[in-house]
Amino acid sequence: MRRLREYGFITGFLAIPVILYVVFVISPYVQAFYLSLTDWGGVSAFPSFSGFSNYTRLFEDEVFWKAVRNHVLLLIALPLLVLSLALFFSFLLNLGGGSKGGKLRGVWGSKFYRVVFFFPQVLAVAIVGVLFQAVYRPDEGGIINGALIAIGLEPIGWLTEPSIAFWAIIGVMVWQAVGFYVVLFSAGMAAIPKDVFEAAALDGAGRFRLFFSITLPLLWDTLQVGWIYLSIAAFDGFALVQVLSVDRGGPDNSTAVLPLEIWKTAFSYSEFGYASAMGVALFFMTITFAVLALRVSRREKIEF
Amino acid sequence: MAIKTHDASSTRKPSPAAGGGTRPPRPKANPLSGLAHAALALWGVITIFPLIWTFLSSFKTNTEIFGNSWSLPAELRTESWGRAWETAQVGKYMLNTVIVVSAGTLLTMLFGSMAAYVLARYTFPGSKIVYVVFVSGLAFPVFLAMMPLFFVVEDLGLLNSHIGLVLVYVAYSMPFTVLFMTAFFRNLPTSVGEAAMIDGASHTRTFFQIMLPMAKPGVVSITIFNVLGQWNQYLLPLVLLAEDRDKWVITQGIADISVIAGYEADWPGLFAALSMAIIPMLIVYVVFQRQIQSGLTSGAVK
Amino acid sequence: MSHSAGTPRDIDRRQALRRIGLTAFMAGPGAGLLASCATGGGGTSTPTPAGSAAPISADNPFGVNASQQLEVVIFSGGYTDAYATEIHQPLYKKAFPQAAIKHVPTQRIGGQLRPRFVSGDVPDVVNNSGPESIDTSALQQAGHLADLTALYDAPSVHDPSKKVRDTLVTGVIEEGLIAGKPYILNYTLSHRGLWYNAKLFADKGYQVPTTWDAFLALCEQLKGAGITPFAYPGQVGPYYQTWNLLYTAAKIGGNQVIIDIDNLVDGAWQNPAMLQAVTAWADLQKKYGDKAYFGLNHTETQVRQLQDKVAFYPTGSWIENEMTKEIPAGKFEYAVMPIPSVTAADKMPAEAIFAGAGENFFVSEKGKNKAGGMEYLRQMLSLEGAKAFTEKTKNLTVVVGSSDGVDLPPGLKSAAKAQEVAGQNIITPARYEGWYRKLYDYSQTQTNAVMAGRITPAEFCENMQKKADETKKDSKITKQTRTA
Repeated sequence: MRRLREYGFITGFLAIPVILYVVFVISPYVQAFYLSLTDWGGVSAFPSFSGFSNYTRLFEDEVFWKAVRNHVLLLIALPLLVLSLALFFSFLLNLGGGSKGGKLRGVWGSKFYRVVFFFPQVLAVAIVGVLFQAVYRPDEGGIINGALIAIGLEPIGWLTEPSIAFWAIIGVMVWQAVGFYVVLFSAGMAAIPKDVFEAAALDGAGRFRLFFSITLPLLWDTLQVGWIYLSIAAFDGFALVQVLSVDRGGPDNSTAVLPLEIWKTAFSYSEFGYASAMGVALFFMTITFAVLALRVSRREKIEF
Repeated sequence: MAIKTHDASSTRKPSPAAGGGTRPPRPKANPLSGLAHAALALWGVITIFPLIWTFLSSFKTNTEIFGNSWSLPAELRTESWGRAWETAQVGKYMLNTVIVVSAGTLLTMLFGSMAAYVLARYTFPGSKIVYVVFVSGLAFPVFLAMMPLFFVVEDLGLLNSHIGLVLVYVAYSMPFTVLFMTAFFRNLPTSVGEAAMIDGASHTRTFFQIMLPMAKPGVVSITIFNVLGQWNQYLLPLVLLAEDRDKWVITQGIADISVIAGYEADWPGLFAALSMAIIPMLIVYVVFQRQIQSGLTSGAVK
Repeated sequence: MSHSAGTPRDIDRRQALRRIGLTAFMAGPGAGLLASCATGGGGTSTPTPAGSAAPISADNPFGVNASQQLEVVIFSGGYTDAYATEIHQPLYKKAFPQAAIKHVPTQRIGGQLRPRFVSGDVPDVVNNSGPESIDTSALQQAGHLADLTALYDAPSVHDPSKKVRDTLVTGVIEEGLIAGKPYILNYTLSHRGLWYNAKLFADKGYQVPTTWDAFLALCEQLKGAGITPFAYPGQVGPYYQTWNLLYTAAKIGGNQVIIDIDNLVDGAWQNPAMLQAVTAWADLQKKYGDKAYFGLNHTETQVRQLQDKVAFYPTGSWIENEMTKEIPAGKFEYAVMPIPSVTAADKMPAEAIFAGAGENFFVSEKGKNKAGGMEYLRQMLSLEGAKAFTEKTKNLTVVVGSSDGVDLPPGLKSAAKAQEVAGQNIITPARYEGWYRKLYDYSQTQTNAVMAGRITPAEFCENMQKKADETKKDSKITKQTRTA
């Protein structure tokens, strides 16, 4: 009887979320898996079955692999840059002010910085894209190049040089994300019991040691959350690539990322079947990546 | 530059990012603190300057926008704001966005917490599979589901409606919400819930009256993530609200005016529309920043 | 909006100028590309009305059901959608007063319409244009496009003694062929070449060059004057320059160069004419270009030209209307110049210029009101509809005589004059652009790469050939051919 009531409760609580999820997420995805086995062109009602030919085609697709490489680079570089910058800033904000009477403090104005750093996060990606077109404009009308020209330097083709373009776009994502993690980590640092620091400081530990031996390990869980969220944000990054890059993923495919390739294949070339196959491949790559990342990180968890 | 004085701090070593060369700690003025300020101030400028520039550009003419980017507008022209208000309909689209995102986040948190709670605290056949299926949704790009999703929504008669969009938002926010809320509920002490159950409270009452309030810090921070995520959505409304301009959300409006600005060479109008979309968001943020920050403080740390 | 375009007081002066313009050019079949072939093929078959009860008559050749709704989707880009709501739709309503028209303007044709094509709930007429236009080959293969033969064989609205096809500029119907049948109507007529500021040239005494050497000499002079001699926008698809390369190759080696490329002929991209053309432009860019433009889009580059920071800009005659509001009065006057002859042995003379049709319209085969869709296009192709379009958008249409008596701006006049001078020497459009979109996109990427000096012209030809060969080998891609 108790068991029965419990199952009733479980069913009741799971019903709506599961139904919504199955209807709007799972069923379209399952259809996408199916479409990856067809040569659907996106405008007919009856796709014809083509077996695994879309998948064999993937192996010979140069741009696809270029995009895979870039995507992996993005998945590694974005969290790494954002998290380390955010850690650095939040460390300065919270503990950079040195100690007074044995108490560690943040720098002067840290509240103000925390508010300002967060600003970009409240802007939609659509807005950020247009904004950075102006920032990176290649002539004197660009915010950066205007300044470079004013001090007598050559303007830089931020988005037109194959060696720079991808990093310029990653830079935009970093710009947008850092503030959020500064706030997040500041919160984390505030939650670390102060006496832990003070004891360590009394033992003669410098700020460098404090950071690596105390702050970082205790923030590990928060870092994990951040990593996962940024990996998802990397997916959304394709909207920026679409708006900012020359030639949609150029120059010379240097900014091609998988989601954009999939988008182009589906919506420009009407090869929905093939695009779905790319998506399925991306799905398995991401899953593998996530499982590996969680395996590695879980080992070093610290409780307090 | 505000340089603080410190006492009894001779044991401090340079922080890693301050770089080499600042080795000997000075007794009074702290060079590290100076560098810290420089780094923070620099990032502050990088953050805020593009926003100010956008605002100023809305008063410029095309010629000025194409001239030196660091010059100020010759006069305060406000016509572009009128044009942007009409074309981009920022007011209406903002309101739509607020409606959709509020409803979307509320339902996401309600259903997400319910599912997460059950998955975290109860064992039943298949519970692991349900959890994995929920979470694996994180690994798939949303737009690939776009075409099939369109037909699902159409078949339900929910196309071009805010309700349809909200339900889709809720569904697509599930993976992230379930992943983290499950972690929160797992970490809550078991004793309190058990005590309530022994006192005769039902499972449902235990959840709403005891467990959910206990998980409040987590709820708040995941809510913030969801608000930001749904506020940013562009593709889903693009496809699901395409035909009814009156229902559009702000990202659609911005994309629309940036396309139009390209065809009609109206950059001041574009920047005015951007400013109109940015400024209220900043105001809301500044007003609520204390709540947002403390929400994150108590939440995502665990 | 309140920009100054031209005051009514100017009208008298402009009316006087009007005559010079396009009468010769558009009216008689003797001029320019109007000549060549007289579009053979029989007008034997009677058009078949689709799903409507109304009888066929001279006024209603498709048997349109007078009270049935018609849905029209218009790409709201450079022309905006006002020409449809203010000109063409009223014309349709005049013919069928009871008919309701559902007008759908959009900037995202594909995003909005693709799902509808799958579901079968399709609009009747679509202006398929812009960055998200739908691949028409895919639509045709899925059976979504209505064969427009019936339209072209129907009597013209303004001259019922003629068939519609006989009121159109020659070659236009051919440009809309997919798998040998006319599925696409290209409504506008445009001239592509190198656009410049005639005022500036007159003031400074610059001579319009006809040979490459003279062109380079002028570039040198312009550079000395602090003007970037040549620029194309590299940011969003550098297709203006891709066209420029192709048309230059056609001038050197004749239209056959482009026809071979379209037909995926072996080695077509490695034709010496192609290599010569690419080399000439890449050298010019290296010497006189400014790499900033690789990162600007078309409107941004065009604003720069209006500020006399760029002298020559490769584009089509729509530019004048596109920039109307921005043209500084009294300081700038658009004019077009044919691409100068690269060698003395060029197959086409220096006067040869590109003229071709654009702006896709199609009727849905599976639409609820296919007959109405055909009729809508027929109304668009009436003299009244075409003339009003030209007046409104300052762009020419494919309807013969539609610019007569229309007050045209200087750029269009210069285009008309260029065509008159060119006579039969008209450069043909490259159709692989619509047929093999992946190849076309690739040619744009390669254009940027070669112009920026990241690859050599020989590598450009090699890479393009490789991609063309891949396209040819891919059995999934439906192949198209052209003879002229």
